Amino acid sequence: MKLTIGERLFQVVNYTLLLVLASTMIAPLIHLLAVSFSSPIAADSKEVFLIPVEFTLATWQHILQNEVLWRAFGVTVFITVAGTFLSMLFTVLTAFPLSRKEFMLRRPVMLMMVITMIFNAPMIPFFLTVREVGLMDSIWSLIIPGLVSTFNMVIVRTFFMSIPKDIDDAARIDGCNEFRLLFQIYLQLSKPVLATISLFYAVGYWNTFKTAVLFLRNPDLWPLQMRLRAFFTSEEELAAVDLIMGDFDFNTTTLKAATIIFATIPIVIVYPYLQKYFVKGAVLGSLKE
Amino acid sequence: MAERADTLAGKKSNNQQLINSRLVKNIRKHWVLYLMILPGIIYYIIFKYIPLMGSVIAFQDYQIFKGILASPWVGFENFRFLYNYEDFHEVLRNTALIAFYQLIFQFPAPIILALLFNEIRILIVKKTVQSLFYLPHFLSWVVVGGIVFELLANQGIVNAIREMFGYAPILFMQEESYFRSIVVISGIWKEVGWGTIIYLAAITAINPSLYEAAVIDGANRFKQTLYITLPLMLPTITVLFLLNIGNFLELGFDQIYNLLTPMTYSVGDIIETYVYRAGVLQGQYSLTTAIGLFQSVIGFVLLWIFNRLARKSEQGLW
Repeated sequence: MKLTIGERLFQVVNYTLLLVLASTMIAPLIHLLAVSFSSPIAADSKEVFLIPVEFTLATWQHILQNEVLWRAFGVTVFITVAGTFLSMLFTVLTAFPLSRKEFMLRRPVMLMMVITMIFNAPMIPFFLTVREVGLMDSIWSLIIPGLVSTFNMVIVRTFFMSIPKDIDDAARIDGCNEFRLLFQIYLQLSKPVLATISLFYAVGYWNTFKTAVLFLRNPDLWPLQMRLRAFFTSEEELAAVDLIMGDFDFNTTTLKAATIIFATIPIVIVYPYLQKYFVKGAVLGSLKE
Repeated sequence: MAERADTLAGKKSNNQQLINSRLVKNIRKHWVLYLMILPGIIYYIIFKYIPLMGSVIAFQDYQIFKGILASPWVGFENFRFLYNYEDFHEVLRNTALIAFYQLIFQFPAPIILALLFNEIRILIVKKTVQSLFYLPHFLSWVVVGGIVFELLANQGIVNAIREMFGYAPILFMQEESYFRSIVVISGIWKEVGWGTIIYLAAITAINPSLYEAAVIDGANRFKQTLYITLPLMLPTITVLFLLNIGNFLELGFDQIYNLLTPMTYSVGDIIETYVYRAGVLQGQYSLTTAIGLFQSVIGFVLLWIFNRLARKSEQGLW
């Protein structure tokens, strides 16, 4: 197929535009990475772009020795692992009965759950409820109030419904009850979908912020995002990190840059491997709507 | 007449009994399914429905030690107060303005980007570009907010570039006039790539023979896009638009909270950040719940209006 001059011109412009825009998606992170490895003087005199200037490891040595940051990291790892597991368990247990024709309350229960996608729980009554339940200042407040995502549950249910019914009959002949049917057969068959949904949950837990703002007054329980926010907003928090500010191997600029990179690295590392699962999930969700 | 009504009622209760006995049988036979879904139902009741019903404290003078049952009812008093409350007007104006800008700039962005992606023919370039565009979606707003503050700081890279061209540095994050643009641009930066996925799926679903026919008729790429791709994307666009409009005033707490400073409250304080400060931190529970309820009602009314409009072309949500 021959392209006209106008079309060829458009192709050139389009490729250039998209490549430039795509590089702005990663450039800020590379820039901050460069800043975190630069000397504070270079960082503050606007010399650093994408390559470190006056290379130093001082900032990183300091960050990686920071116990407060590591504790927050530990909290985040815990809620990501425990939260993803519990969310998956609840999601699967809810989605399975809703995918079964023989479950008589399928329609009303499904409706009850889907309605909450349009009518969100408002912030203050939600806050008061969680407090009444006794989850204030508990690490579980980061997990339990947001345990099931209706969106994810609907995706899993749709997938369960697409599994051919012949399998059920075979299982029934083997004397399988519904628990075994779900855990030994359905879950084995839905591994790709379950992987995608777990990733959605895991990223959500890794980025947990709002629930921590609402429910955690005790800084010892803060997850990583909350700790970062504290670093960004008050210089004292950051200064508390470096007890000797007279030592000029790092300053707040390089420390902030390094903490941003610290919180982002895990996502950037796993992202290339998991990307296709994420995309699959987004498309699955769209089909339902 | 009365007799007939009686028999009708009798029939109804008969039906009810029939359903009940069928339900009992169903539970006996498939008790495992009922057991499985029980935790889910309890979760939805406690963390979704109780808070929804808890919105009634908007019509109360809620006192924490008395609880919902014993707190005095005040009717529309909280709403009447809001009507004359200067702070609320400012917050509502900020929310509506930012929501409007987002709708105009942020909503169409992934549609345009998806069309541009669709014109890339070299597969590896397409894959790479897409991967890069999807990445920011997975960063938290705390991180993105941190990035924005660092880049726009006095010693940040944006001011460094400005200085290279001889301009004086600007304190972007502290200036009221830049706040809303920063919100919209950072929102586009974070979500535009991810937003294309649904549209790209819609484009992939288009039957290639349509394009072949168009080529025979002499349509160039631009005309194909205009007369085939876009119209066939319209149902997807409509659905996403409706879902969007239903949450019109819900801008997302995380984004604004992480970009806001006390210097920019006058232009950037939105309903959610205000409700958090006045409600969660200062304990004005009833008043802030009234604000939340107001927000939900506006969202629902907008959804209802636009759904009616969309239904005229048979593309509504319901």
